[in-house]
Amino acid sequence: MSAKKGFKRKSGASSDIPSSSMADIAFLLLIFFMVSTVFRKEKKRNIEWTTAEATEKIDEKRKNILHIWVEPDGTVYINDQIVPYENIADIVRPIYAENRELVVAIRGDRDVPYNQINTITEQLQASGAVRVTFATRVEQRVQRARR
Amino acid sequence: MPILNRKQRVSDEIPTASMADIAFLLLVFFLTTTVFNEEKGLPIVLPEQSEEQDVSAKNLIFFIVRPDGSVVVKRGESEQEQVVQYRQVEIILRQELAQNSNLIAAVKTDPNAAYRHMVNVLDEVKKAGAERISLQILEE
Repeated sequence: MSAKKGFKRKSGASSDIPSSSMADIAFLLLIFFMVSTVFRKEKKRNIEWTTAEATEKIDEKRKNILHIWVEPDGTVYINDQIVPYENIADIVRPIYAENRELVVAIRGDRDVPYNQINTITEQLQASGAVRVTFATRVEQRVQRARR
Repeated sequence: MPILNRKQRVSDEIPTASMADIAFLLLVFFLTTTVFNEEKGLPIVLPEQSEEQDVSAKNLIFFIVRPDGSVVVKRGESEQEQVVQYRQVEIILRQELAQNSNLIAAVKTDPNAAYRHMVNVLDEVKKAGAERISLQILEE
């Protein structure tokens, strides 16, 4: 008999998920992501990318990557500033001294003569930053067949 | 004065029940529209400046990139030269690597050759699975 009584007993706790605080949680998440997002301020340069099938993803934190842009006319930009070729080592050296894990990404236009790229790699060697990537876009087989 | 006593039916509160839906909708929208610009490329480690290694000629294979994009293959010891298209580099290097795993692939580029030609060849060399790569400039 006592068991039957137990069946009839109603629970005092509400069976609904409390939804009144849900909005606060959602807005909190929204604001958290908005605040914690960091945008890179570097200006995009107008270059034509080289393509390569062996393109790899560089698993490196963003702060460890330094971009060297080479525009079609051969101008070199580091952090939005024009850098003469002979000064690249002087610019990179302090950055590398501060961050030993630095990876230098060379973002060169596809039609830049190799002479320029070679000068950059020589300057990088002089500065000690020897981890370099030649930034490329993934090449699709279809594109290749069309050429 | 019956009009003054009449109670307003419309609630004067902001409806909070749908607020969660709106907030989550915004959240999901921003999550899905965010694009991360990934860092992609061909990684390579340059030799230290002081570092200069003596390599015996038989462990070298040269890929000389010419300004028109064609590639001259030169095996270290022999004087023999072979002109190929860059697409053939992978196959050639694969065969050579199978015979000699210590082989160093040296990409020698003409100073006037466009950067993309050099990247094309480097791409082939990477695809062939070469571990030891050397980048050089062709001196006149």
